[in-house]
Amino acid sequence: MSGARRVMVSGATTPGGAALVRALLEEPSIELVLALGLEEAGSAAVATALPGAERRLVYEQVDLRRPRALRRLLFGRARALEISAVVHSALHRSARDGGRGVHDLNVESMREFLHLLERHPTISRLVVRSYAEVYRLVQDRPSIVDEEHPLDLRPEAPQWVRDRVEADLTACSAMGQGRLKVIVLRCAECLAPGSGSQLYDYLQSRVCMRPLGFDPMMNLLSIEDQCAAIVSALRYGGQGIFNIPGADTLPLSRLIARFGRVEVPVPAPLLGPLYRLRSATIGADFRYDLNYWRFHFSGVLDGARARERLGYSPQHPLRFPR
Amino acid sequence: MTEQEQGREHARWSGPRGLPEVWRRQIARAGLRDAGHGFDPLGASREGLARGVMAARFFYERYFRVLSQGHAHLPATGPAILASNHGGMLPFDAMMIALDVLRHSSPPRFVRPILDHFVPALPLVNTFFTRAGAIGGSRGNVRYALEGGEMLLIFPEGTRGIGKLFWERYRLQEWRVGHVELAIRYGAPIVPVAVIGAEEQWPQIARLPAPRALGFPYVPIPALPLPLPVRYHIYYGEPIAVQRRFQPSEADDLGVVEAAAAEVKEAVAGLVARGLAEREGIFD
Repeated sequence: MSGARRVMVSGATTPGGAALVRALLEEPSIELVLALGLEEAGSAAVATALPGAERRLVYEQVDLRRPRALRRLLFGRARALEISAVVHSALHRSARDGGRGVHDLNVESMREFLHLLERHPTISRLVVRSYAEVYRLVQDRPSIVDEEHPLDLRPEAPQWVRDRVEADLTACSAMGQGRLKVIVLRCAECLAPGSGSQLYDYLQSRVCMRPLGFDPMMNLLSIEDQCAAIVSALRYGGQGIFNIPGADTLPLSRLIARFGRVEVPVPAPLLGPLYRLRSATIGADFRYDLNYWRFHFSGVLDGARARERLGYSPQHPLRFPR
Repeated sequence: MTEQEQGREHARWSGPRGLPEVWRRQIARAGLRDAGHGFDPLGASREGLARGVMAARFFYERYFRVLSQGHAHLPATGPAILASNHGGMLPFDAMMIALDVLRHSSPPRFVRPILDHFVPALPLVNTFFTRAGAIGGSRGNVRYALEGGEMLLIFPEGTRGIGKLFWERYRLQEWRVGHVELAIRYGAPIVPVAVIGAEEQWPQIARLPAPRALGFPYVPIPALPLPLPVRYHIYYGEPIAVQRRFQPSEADDLGVVEAAAAEVKEAVAGLVARGLAEREGIFD
C-alpha cells in the first residue's frame, strides 16, 4: 500500500468495522491499526470483533459524541502512534432511535473530526464511509445513480436520512479547504447482520410485503467489497466523492426469493400501517417510510468514478441462502 | 465469463413456454448486460423481453401485420439512436419498432425505448416495460445505455406526438433536439425511422387536462373504443453519422445540435412521405 500506513478506524466493533480492521491487518504495508469502539477494552464484544494477539492492533475505547474525548484521543494517543489516516464509519445503526444523542454521533462527531483533523500534525487523510441512502430516488431521475445525483434534502425526511445526508455534506464541504484530504465513499447497502441494514431486517420476516406494481432494481454490497473499497481509498492520493456499488444488482422480488422468503405484493398505501404495526409488535428495525422511494424506483449506483480513480470494482457477491 | 461462454449460455436459454423458436433464438442471442442475476442494471431481463414479445406478438404478426424495410441501415453493433415519428394514443409504435428490430436485425439487437417521465410512476406498467427493455427518459439512464453500446428508440415529438389529434396525423410536431445532443456526445449514429399506420390506429378527437394525481400529461378522448387493425409499415432510413461529423464537445453547441436535429426531422418526414405515397390504403 503506497498510501496511509498507520490507520485509525472508528466503529471498529461493528461487523463492518471489525471486517475492515482484519482486512487492514492483512495488508503487509499497514504498520498499525488504531481501532475505536464504545465498548471497554477487554470486553467480550471487543474480543469477539477484533483479532486478539495482533501486535499491530491497538484498541481504544472512546465515545465520539464527546468532543473532549475525541480531542484527547486525536492529540494524545493518535499523535503518539503517528496515525496518518482515519476511516470514519461510526454511525448509529438502529432506525428506531432518534434525537440529540443519535445526531451527535452521526453528525456532530463528523464535524468535530473535521475541525480537529484540520490542524492535526500527523493525520492528513480522512475516509468517510457514507451511504447510498443519501440519494433521492424519484420517478424522473436516473435509475443509474452517479455522484451528481440529487441528495435527499426533503425537510420531511426522517432523521435517519437527514443525519446521513448532513454528515455526508459536512465531509464534502471540507474538501479542498485545507491540507486534510477527504474521501467520501457512498456505499451501496451492505446486507449484513448488525450493520444497520434496513433490507437485512426487512428480509428477516418469513413474509415480505412490497408495493404492488413496483419491483425496483437494488444494488447490494458485501462486507468484503466494502473493505476493499476503503482500502483502495486509503491508497488513493487524491480526494473526492465516490459511489461504491456492490456485485449484486437484482429486483426486490428476486432478492426476497433469494432469501427464501415469501413475497406478497400489497397496495402501497397499506404498507406503511402494516410495517408500523410489525415494528410496534415485534420491535423490528425496518421502517417503510425510510424505504418508501427505493421500494418504488430503482437506484443502482454507478461505480465508474471509483473504478477509474480508486481502481475499485466489486468482486465479492453476497452469499444468498438460495 | 468470456463472450464465447456467454454465447453458449444464451443459446441454452429456453424462454417461456409458447414462445416460437424464431423469437426464442433472437432473444437468446440479443445482447443483454447481465449484472449477475439475469437482469441488467436498468432492469431488463431476457424473460421480461420474452414476456413483452409474447404480449405484443399478436399485434405485430396478426393485428397490425407489420411490414418493414431498410433493416440494412440498422447498425450491427455499437451505440445507436432510432429517431421516429410518434402517434396513436398508446405507444404501439414503440412496441412494433422494438419487435421489428429484434426480429430482423442480425446479430439481434435489443432496442431500449425511452419512456416518458410519468411512466415509471405507473404501477405494473413500469415493471412490464422496464423488464422488456424500456428505460426512464433521464439523462443518466440514457448515458449509461449509450456508453454500453446499446440501441435507443427516441420519439423526438414526445407526448405531443402521441397526443396528436386525428387531423394532425403525420404532421411532425415540435422536434426536440436531445437525441442529437446525445448522439454527438456519446458517438452514436441516428437512424431515422418512419412508422406508417400508427397515427391512424386509434383516432383521437380531443385531449383533456388530467388531474395531477393521475400522473398523465392529459386524458385522451378516442373516437373508437379499440384501435383499428391498420397495417403498419416501418421504414429505416440511412444512418445520419453525426458522431463522425462532430466532436463530442460540440454537443453543447446549440447551433450544431439544432441544425442536425432539423436534418433528422427532414429525413423522418421524407420517409413518412414515401411511406404514405407507397401504401395503398390504411389496412393494406
